[in-house]
This record gives sequence, structure tokens and C-alpha cells, in this order.
Amino acid sequence: MSIKYGEIKIPTDLIKKIEERVKETEFESVAEYVTFVLEEVVKDAEEDLEEVFSEEDEEKVKERLRALGYLD
Amino acid sequence: MIVVLAIDALEYTMVEEFNCKNLMQKYYGKTNISEFSEPRTMVLWSSFMNGKNLEKEVTALGDEGMWNTKFDMKNTFFDQFEKPKIIDLPGFSYTKEQHDKERMLLKQFFDAKSDKEKTDIRAMYNNHAFEHHRKIKQEFSDALNGDYDFLLGYFSVADVVGHLNFGNRIMMKMIYKDMNEVAETIKSDYIVLSDHGMEKIGIFGDHSSYGFWSSSVKNLGNPKITDFAKIIKNEQ
Repeated sequence: MSIKYGEIKIPTDLIKKIEERVKETEFESVAEYVTFVLEEVVKDAEEDLEEVFSEEDEEKVKERLRALGYLD
Repeated sequence: MIVVLAIDALEYTMVEEFNCKNLMQKYYGKTNISEFSEPRTMVLWSSFMNGKNLEKEVTALGDEGMWNTKFDMKNTFFDQFEKPKIIDLPGFSYTKEQHDKERMLLKQFFDAKSDKEKTDIRAMYNNHAFEHHRKIKQEFSDALNGDYDFLLGYFSVADVVGHLNFGNRIMMKMIYKDMNEVAETIKSDYIVLSDHGMEKIGIFGDHSSYGFWSSSVKNLGNPKITDFAKIIKNEQ
């Protein structure tokens, strides 16, 4: 299945920094490096969303939100 | 124009961690809110604008009454200005419907039985907060070009989103960087002030026991939130 690509804009200062960094890695281009980093960020964000809410933390924060007037 | 960037729950340690230079300015530090029994948003901003501790008076109204508090201009230090503009400040120009819905969604989140339901409600809660934030940013940006001698923009996003997402570093960093960019658009001297900061309870956020201040003009030390009425008056 072929991958479709879109375009985004990045500040040129940042591109220069990434170009320097890419020289020391196995990535062949800025685009490849940026794609990898963004995939990791999105994966981390999705994992955060999948977390199980801790009952203990919930009870603690509920108590605090009641004291602050947010919850009855 | 004297400008105050009032950012609810702006946390001192995060401003430093995310290197928000426009929020730090030349001088920055913590505010002293130790005289208050709890760092309640409505109590702190009410005390700020009246220049005195109003914890007893505001909490006597009960939770519902507290959130509906609305002070007259003449009771606040804003009255010393000819053309003040105050955006969305709790206890003064708070957008009631917006913030009532936030608390309703917060309650729904904690009443939800399943993690899936909590995740869905949290997404609605966050979207509601960010949509409001975009409106406030626009209003503040327009006001910077207006004919006012005092402008206060109150931004609730760090507090509202923080209560259910403070443990999400990426989301909080995005919010702090956004507020840093808002500060960059201010061309006159300005003060950054928060009522309290925030501290983690797992993924959630609680109010911390100090606020944040910054100024490009003067090192204010460890001021009380009630000192700012005089501090701002002296800047006139």
C-alpha cells in the first residue's frame, strides 16, 4: 500500500539544527527524522489516553476539588 | 497601557522547566498566599482586585454563591483607571455559562463509571476549555490595540485543563508555550500573575500553595496577591 504525504512548515532555524543532528544518525533526511520523532510523540500521547485512572489518585484529587469549591 | 497577564494556576516550576522567557521576563518569583486557608481561585482573584484578604466574605457565600461573586468596579483598584478593560476575571467579568459548564463536566468525569466514559468526558472537557481559550486570546489581542489605560486578560486554560491533565507533560508544555507566545505579543511593560500554581496527583492537578509573578521593571520579591493593587497603582 503506498503512503500518502502532506506538507508542513517548520522554522528554518530548527531545520538547520536537525540537519546537523541527522549527520550523526542513521536517518537519511530531515523528513525521515521528523517523521520518526512525531510518530513517537503521537504514540506517547495515545498511550496517555489509554491509561487506567488510578482510584487512589482520583479519590485524593476529588477531596481537593471539594475543598477548593469545584465539586459538591 | 498597563497590562496584566493573569494566568490561573501558572506553575513557577513549569515556567522554568519549559523555559518560557516571555513569562519569566527580567524578574520573576513566587507570590505568598499563605494567609489563605485554601488556594481557592475565586477567593484569590477577589482579594487581588480589592487589595485585601476577602476569604471570609467570599467563602461565607457557599460554593455556588462564591462562583457567582461579582464585584462592582468601584470596590476594585480598576476604578483608578479611566479606561480599564478586564477580560473574564473571576469575581468581576467571569463568563458564567462557560465556567459553569466546566464544573459540570468535571463532576460528570468523576461520576463516570468506566475508564472509556471518563476518557470521552475528559475529551469534551478539554475541547470546551481550548475553545474558550481561543476566544479569550482573540479578545485579548484585539484589546492590546484598543484605547485602554489598563488591560487585564485572564486565562483559565492552565487551571481548567490542568485539573484533569497535569500529568500529561506534552499537553501542559503546549499550553505553557502558547501562553509564552501570548506574552510575546505585548509591546508595553506587563505583569504576569497567577493566583496559585499546580502540583501533580497522578494524571490530575491540585492547586499549589504559591502563585507566580513576573515583571520587566522591578524585582517584587515574594509579594502577597493583595499587594498588587498598590504595585500596579505605583506603575501608573
